[in-house]
Amino acid sequence: MPKAIRLYVKWVDSLSRWTGIFAMFLLFALLGILLYSTIMKTWFLPSLWTVEAAQFVMVSYYLLGGAWTLKEGEHVRMDLLYSRWTPRKKAGVDLVTGLAMIFFLGLLFAGGVASSYYAWQTNEHSFSAWRPPMLPVKLIMTFGIFLTLLQAAAIFFRDWATLRGASIE
Amino acid sequence: RWRFQTYAGAALGPHVTKPAIDLFNRSAKGEMEIELYYADQLVPTGELFRALQNGTIDAVHSDDDSMAAPVPVSIFGGYFPFATKSILDVPVLFNQYGLADIWRDAYAKAGGVVWLSAAGQDACHFNTRTPIRSVADLKGLRLYTFPTAGRFLTQFGVVPVSIPYEDVQVAAQTGEISGMAWSGITEDYTVGWADVTKYFLTNNISGAWIGSWFVNEKRWADLPQHLKDLWLTCVQAGHNYRDQWYWGGEAKLRAQGEKLELTTVPADEWAEIEKAAMVFWDEVAEDNETTAKVVKTFKDYNGVLTKSGGVYACG
Amino acid sequence: MSYELIAALMFSSMMLMLLTGQRVFAVIGFVGAAAALFLWGGTGSFNMAFSSAMKLMRWYPMLTLPLFVFMGYMLAESRIADDLYRMFHVWMGSIRGGLAIGTMLLMIVISAINGLSVAGMAVGATIALPELLRRGYDKIMVTGVIQGGSTLGILLPPSVVLVLYGMIARQPVGHLWMAGVFPGLLMASLFLLYIMVRCRLNPELGPPMPEEERAKITRADKLHALQAGIWPFVIFFSMTGLFLTGVTSLVESAAVGAAASTFVALIRRRLTWDVLYQTARKTLGVSCMFMWLIMAALCFGAVFDGLGAVKSVERLFLNDWGLEPWQVLLMMQAAFLILGVFLDDTAMLVIVAPLFIPLAGALGFDLIWYGVLYTITCQVAYVTPPFGYNLFLMRAMAPPEITLPDIYRSIWPFVAIMLLTLLIIALYPPIATWLPNYVYS
Ligand code: NA
Ligand code: NA
Repeated sequence: MPKAIRLYVKWVDSLSRWTGIFAMFLLFALLGILLYSTIMKTWFLPSLWTVEAAQFVMVSYYLLGGAWTLKEGEHVRMDLLYSRWTPRKKAGVDLVTGLAMIFFLGLLFAGGVASSYYAWQTNEHSFSAWRPPMLPVKLIMTFGIFLTLLQAAAIFFRDWATLRGASIE
Repeated sequence: RWRFQTYAGAALGPHVTKPAIDLFNRSAKGEMEIELYYADQLVPTGELFRALQNGTIDAVHSDDDSMAAPVPVSIFGGYFPFATKSILDVPVLFNQYGLADIWRDAYAKAGGVVWLSAAGQDACHFNTRTPIRSVADLKGLRLYTFPTAGRFLTQFGVVPVSIPYEDVQVAAQTGEISGMAWSGITEDYTVGWADVTKYFLTNNISGAWIGSWFVNEKRWADLPQHLKDLWLTCVQAGHNYRDQWYWGGEAKLRAQGEKLELTTVPADEWAEIEKAAMVFWDEVAEDNETTAKVVKTFKDYNGVLTKSGGVYACG
Repeated sequence: MSYELIAALMFSSMMLMLLTGQRVFAVIGFVGAAAALFLWGGTGSFNMAFSSAMKLMRWYPMLTLPLFVFMGYMLAESRIADDLYRMFHVWMGSIRGGLAIGTMLLMIVISAINGLSVAGMAVGATIALPELLRRGYDKIMVTGVIQGGSTLGILLPPSVVLVLYGMIARQPVGHLWMAGVFPGLLMASLFLLYIMVRCRLNPELGPPMPEEERAKITRADKLHALQAGIWPFVIFFSMTGLFLTGVTSLVESAAVGAAASTFVALIRRRLTWDVLYQTARKTLGVSCMFMWLIMAALCFGAVFDGLGAVKSVERLFLNDWGLEPWQVLLMMQAAFLILGVFLDDTAMLVIVAPLFIPLAGALGFDLIWYGVLYTITCQVAYVTPPFGYNLFLMRAMAPPEITLPDIYRSIWPFVAIMLLTLLIIALYPPIATWLPNYVYS
């Protein structure tokens, strides 16, 4: 494998790892916001922003965690046939069908860029009384999808290496 | 073949949007077909304007506020506090007082979307799980409401909540919200909100919903004149159907409905909210030239209504 | 190309691509996005794809998902469930198949404090299963016990599936949860009955605890073990209790439940940094898996809907008006079951439920009762190959000696019991509807 590709895979893996760890902690932010909401609602005046803020944290949580999830192989597969194949055959089939994943992620990413650009251009605010600007959360979403796309490409190279009987490391 | 998405859910849509579309499909005799989709079915309501602009959806029925249209007039869509007193005020404002031109221009400037027609619907009442008998009872209520109306109501301690339309009934059941400030009583009964709340406040914060019908610019340009005429006629017929459906429904269900208990805040106390609305109007008028023009139109028209007295002055 | 043909093509290419073993979210998303590209061209297609992410963001009941998952893993990692398991072990171990019965009871308790089947799967596959295997229990039977038992998580309250159903059917969640109680208990009893009968007929399937080990357990041990049962009650009341009494909203209840399970772990001095990290880590993996899958399914569903496919099916149904309502219901249920074999509940809910549920309502059926039938169908879908969450989770978490054919073979008796329960409740609706009517009137 060319050195550039090896470096790319190594770099993307480490990036995915760190954003994954960051995403893990967002769960506690989500928990905190909802507990705050509970306390405010039960004993004080309910707050305006908690449900929407929780939604923003949630979407960041699973989109920023996307690359890590992909790297760790957490996604389900229908492995009726797949589980019986040799690693080489798995890599070969994955190499082809992985393009489908890259295609989907690519479209998602393009959609994210377009949506973020629109948010920036029209100074979009959420349609709620809290009215937070939408650009930050859309950028985070797009960034998460972008990292997932990078990771999908890294997996593509890894499968390619496996198919050629080489190891990426 | 058009894909048409309405702001309304599957229970309300058959009354507020479907009649116009069915009429068109029948009359077009296969020359063209419009497929109706309900709230959030193809795209979420917040993304509706963009989807319309880039042609993912061909036509839309919604208020400007909930679909987050990037135009200066969008703040007046849905329920602008105390802008109108009853359902027919909306077509009058648009067709006799010049709002139609302002709206048409605003959307022409945003590009990609053609504004076709606006009409009124029901007034904006409160239906809640706990009774509202004074302005102080509003304090701490988590209400599903329109963004602009919600922003206005926060000064009375209301906590506005934005969730997808179809989730509202369940949200009231699960305690996410304590009620709605969204519609008249007809809609409350039709979509099932009367089953999850107990009280209906007869005071309203706006006499009629302002909602519009839009179409993608290119799709509209491609349409032959006779189909354009047919579509506009059908939309108008839909307005007519709604005028009666809401007007009759409000009276009947208030008088004979058994699911919601009516409460009223004394008029002199409610005037406090009306007064706050006038302050809100002036703030909005300072935003830009267009909002100033619309607010002035509202003021002129409401002046006429008050002066004319009788049924015109009742909210 | 006609839209009906495109729709058929979408479905068949999806099934075909799933067979290649590519990640399910990628397959569903790809087919949806590719069809969107064909229908709308570039801009429209990527907007449809990203819209599904926005739609999912606004779907606020999904906020409960990572919290319920977190709670499940917290119960597993903090070893509260171990103690619970030990309690059942000490009390039930001496009878034939006792540990399998204990495992089923454990599944019931976990189901009562968690809204998904994943928590039961996590606890069952990582704690109960290795122990059962070590003690010589039949691996096929116990694999089935865990998979079947854990599906009770979506029938007994709290239930995430019933929340999603309530969202689409516009039915109150409180009623739905209450409606799940007796059907859930009925199914659980039938599961228990099955295990007892099988172990009685064939003792090798579940050997009782050896005499010398039994002798070592004193009465004090037995009483001590009972303490483990206190904590699930604490969690149950802090979450389901507060929700059903209206103190907290649904998403807040999930947060309170997650906090309560963490708190219980803390006061039992089992909350180490490592436990917290492992829990957060696993929660991220499972939540992301679910959310990406749902996001892709939403994209697929919206495009499928945009083709007018749903409407075609509706027309097909409406042409069959000559049928009696119950015949239509039977047809819908059969279609749900068949689809459930191939799809999972989320995909079913997104693609088919908006069509079936209003139809069931229009035919005059009680939608609370129908929600229970739907949930049981989802349970079947969870465990039936080739596509089912529990199958995948079992595959991911089970010890290596459990092979895929073992997993597939293990579930059939439990599927049969689920179908029997479905039939009983279909014929005798008060089992589901009595409790909500009693509580809320
Ligand atoms: Na449960
Ligand atoms: Na299945």
